Order: sequence, then C-alpha cells, then structure tokens
Amino acid sequence: MSEIPVLETRGLGRRFGSLDAVSDVSFSVPKGMILGVIGPNGAGKSTFINLVTGHIKPTSGKVFIEGKDMTGAAPWDIARAGVARTFQIVKPFNGMTVRENIAVGILYEPHGTNRMAVALREADEVLHTVGLAGQGERRPNELSTADVRRLEFAKALASRPRLILLDEVMAGLRPTEIGPSLDLIRELKAQGTTVIVVEHVMKAIVAVSDEVLVLAQGKVLMQGDPHEVLADPRVIEVYLGHRYAKRQKGNS
Amino acid sequence: MTTTPEVKISRNLLHTWIPSVVAVLAVIGALILKSHIPGGELRAVATIFMFIALSQAWNIIGGFAGYASFGQVVFFGMGGYFTAVVMLKYHFSFWVAMPLSGLFAAVFAMLIGLPLLKLKGHYFAIATLGVAEGMREVVINLPDLTGGGAGISVPIAGTFAKTQYLGDGGFYLLFLGLAIFSVGIGTLVSRNKFGYGLRAIHQNEDAAAAVGINTVRSKVMAYGLSAFMTGMVGASYVFQQVTIFPERLFDVEITVLMIMMVVIGGSGTVIGPLLGALGLQFISEYLREHFTSGHTFILGLIIILAVILIPQGLVNYIREGRRTKQYSLLTNIRRYRL
Repeated sequence: MSEIPVLETRGLGRRFGSLDAVSDVSFSVPKGMILGVIGPNGAGKSTFINLVTGHIKPTSGKVFIEGKDMTGAAPWDIARAGVARTFQIVKPFNGMTVRENIAVGILYEPHGTNRMAVALREADEVLHTVGLAGQGERRPNELSTADVRRLEFAKALASRPRLILLDEVMAGLRPTEIGPSLDLIRELKAQGTTVIVVEHVMKAIVAVSDEVLVLAQGKVLMQGDPHEVLADPRVIEVYLGHRYAKRQKGNS
Repeated sequence: MTTTPEVKISRNLLHTWIPSVVAVLAVIGALILKSHIPGGELRAVATIFMFIALSQAWNIIGGFAGYASFGQVVFFGMGGYFTAVVMLKYHFSFWVAMPLSGLFAAVFAMLIGLPLLKLKGHYFAIATLGVAEGMREVVINLPDLTGGGAGISVPIAGTFAKTQYLGDGGFYLLFLGLAIFSVGIGTLVSRNKFGYGLRAIHQNEDAAAAVGINTVRSKVMAYGLSAFMTGMVGASYVFQQVTIFPERLFDVEITVLMIMMVVIGGSGTVIGPLLGALGLQFISEYLREHFTSGHTFILGLIIILAVILIPQGLVNYIREGRRTKQYSLLTNIRRYRL
C-alpha cells in the first residue's frame, strides 16, 4: 500500500470579503478510507468540497491529490486526476436522458471510450449499480427526489474516480432509502475507492465512516473515530449549544 | 415504468438510416431542381441554402452550447470583408479566400470568446451584439482598406479576377455545398463527444466541469467552429453580391433571422434549424407574393404565435410529444412558462 494520501490539504482556506468561510484546514485521507465530514449549517462543508474540486479557488493553503499539488487547478483537471463529486443542490443535465447523463461522464473520463454508443452501454452498468436500472430513457425532471439523488451519485461514479466526494447525497431520502446508499458507499470502499461523505444524517455517518472530521465555523474541530467524535463535548456543543453540553456533562 | 422495445427500435431507425436517405434524396432533388427553374428562383433557393448553413452555424454555439450569440453577423461580415479585400487587393482566388475567411472569423471568435464566454445569458448576448455593431463602425472607418461606407467591389471578370463570376447556377451549387457541409458538421457535433460536452455545458456548467469537461476550451472551440462556418458563408455572399456595404454585411437582421430559424425549428437539434430555415424562408416568400402590403405583419404574427405556443421549437415539441404522448399546446405553454 502506498504511503501517499489520496487527498491532503495544508492550511486550506477561503475568505469571502471579511468572512472566513473555511480557514486553516489541514488533514489527509489515506487510500480506501471512508471519511465522514460533519458540522452544523454554515460550517463550511460545501465550501470545503468546492475548494478540493476546484469549483472555488482557495485564498490560502494547498491541496494535494495523490501527492500532486493541485492547488487552484480547474475543476476539469481535478476531475481528470480521478476526483469526482456530487452537488448538494443536484445538477442533472435536464435536456438529456438519464442514460446520456451518465454517458457524458464516461466519455470525458481520461481512459474512457470516445464513442457515444459504447458509453451508453457502459452507462447501463452504472445505472444498475445505483438502482436506476430501467430508468435510462427518462428525463431527470421525471424522476422522484430519491432517484434524482441516485442519478447525482451515478454521474459521479461514471468517471470511475479514485476519490469521490459526496455532498449530502442522502438529504431528503426516507430512512428505508438510506440503507442502499450506505451499501453503495461500502461497496465503493471494497473496490478501493476513497470516499468523503458530507452528511447531515448522523446515523448514516456513524454507520459508514472509518473516521469523522468535524468542521465548525470553517475550522477543523476534531478528527477521529466516529463514536468518540460524537461523544466529545466540543462536538455536542457546536451542534446543540453550550448549555446542552454542560447539562450532558452534569448527567454523566 | 420501463421503455418498450418498439420505442427503442423506432428511435434507432430515426437515428440511423432514415435521415441519411432523406438527406441524399434532398440533395438529388436540389440538383434536379437546379436545371428546372429560372435564374431569379435559383437565387431565391440559393438564399434558402445560405440560411440553412447560417442557422446550422448559429446552432453550434447558441443551440448546443446554449450561448445566444446576438452578434453572430460579425463573423459573416468579417468573413465577407476578408474575401473582398484579399480578392481585390491581393488577387486571391475565391477558392483560397473563402476558407481563409472562415479561419479569419474563427480566430477572431476565439480571441473575443475567451473573455466574452465568461459572461452568461443576456450579458453574453448583449456583449456579442456590441462587438458586431462596433466592428461595422471599424469597417466604415477604414476606407483605405475596406472602402468605408462607399463599399467595396470584388473583381469578377477580366485579368484582375482570379476566379470568374460563378453565375446563378454556380452560386446555387456553392450555397448548396455550404448547406451540406454545415448540416454535416451539425450532425457530427450532435453525435460526438464534443457535442455532448457542449450540451452538458448548456445545461449546467459546474456539473459539466465536475465530470471532466474543459468548459472554457469547449466553449471557445464551439464559438470558433460556429464563426468558421459563418465566415465562409459571408465570403460566398460577398462574391455573389459583388459590391458590398458595411450596413448590409453587418446587418443585425441577418443575426435575427439565424436565431429565429434555430429557435422556431428547434435549437440543439440538427433537423430543427434546417426546417426552421426552410420554413421561414418559404413562408416569407409566399407571403411576399400573396400579400404585398401586409406580409411582414403576418410573418411577425406567425413568429409570435410560434414562440408562444412552442417555445422549445417544432422538433423538440414533436420529440417531447412522441415521448410523453402529450401534444396539447396548452400543456406545452405550461411546461415552458417562465
């Protein structure tokens, strides 16, 4: 196993005007790990993903992908380096069929086919993997909320990434629909893909993550074992407030 | 709900040999037609071919990539003036001048595209319109090179003319060739990786970039390709007209016609702009013949109705109808209301 982490950031930060949306985030993810990223609203989780994938340029710090400095690189260069993502607000290609949505990602994958007919066939496999088999000829705007989330996931999988960043893929899903998503994430890990899961659904994070990173006000609050992190009074405090954390302490 | 096999089969047929057969028949038809109609009508049909080529060119950047170029005529005008100048002053053959004019327009498009294609929606549209209006003024103010407002004439006969005037039949064939070329390019783009990249950019640029599409390069290439096709058509138009003026060659009406044809026919498809160009030119000619006084009024009314009732264009409306079995125009308005 190689020692180079799939993703490493050093002092990564982004300032919007006078607001530090993300500041001084340093961490690394070894190959094959599932890292959960949690944090209250406005903690900078989505900004953090955007900084890694190049959709937002950092104002400070560095991003290394498999040891290579990719700070400030364009999103398509990061994608071609093997990093895929989903968007919190889903962004399907509405004018195309579901199958074509996936096929585009396959066409633009550096080692993938250049022929649409081949890409369309391969897209069916991806659709099958995420549970969208048989929906290929429909349009994204005809799908249910859960299926649109699956499509968002499938679009990220299409480029066969080595690192995948999932921005709240389980938001809005019913509890019964979360199970299959978690299985899919574990399946990715089994295939050697590194996964970063940003999520609001705590149960899901604890169930699937090897490690959890907590962001609060744009900074790393802590990183470690999921159960330990969630029991930490500092984490409880950022989520539920100072007084609640104190009371919890008194009770225990 | 799953797709029925019949739907798949009919789609496959529609995507493979039927269009090719129709295209070949149409070209044969056009060639037969040539020897059966008089000069005036040859010119009218050549104009239809010209607009087929122009609408296909606009469709690359405006339809596939979704960047509404309201200043597209600038490439028409620049291609035209490039040909006029090199034929008159440097005695170029038209057949050399025409592709060079396309390249000239393409390079210009790519240079202005780098900053302009960062703008979105109306901002891009207005900026390109500004470029076209500005370029007309530049041409007017360079009388030594372009003849300025007094116009410029291409040599068409005698020792100065490397290429002799083609005549009505020759231009008919030239514009037919350009139409075939542009429909071919459009077909290629609609099916290949580049075209799917443009569609993805059209629908969501961030998502397109996230799957590895170099959105800047794709957009600039699309703009360049669109300008290349437009510039060659402009060059041919100039040779046909012999004497040209900045007002006509940079006329915003030419852009408007391209956009109308693409939008009414169905943008982002190959057949849409083709039908749009054919339909609009035919209706326009028909009305001119039968309603001498009110023909522009009626044409305007038809266009307004078409845009309100089928804003996605005829071809996209039919495709959606076939898919959803829903042809009601009222439903259609509701689907596309703002």
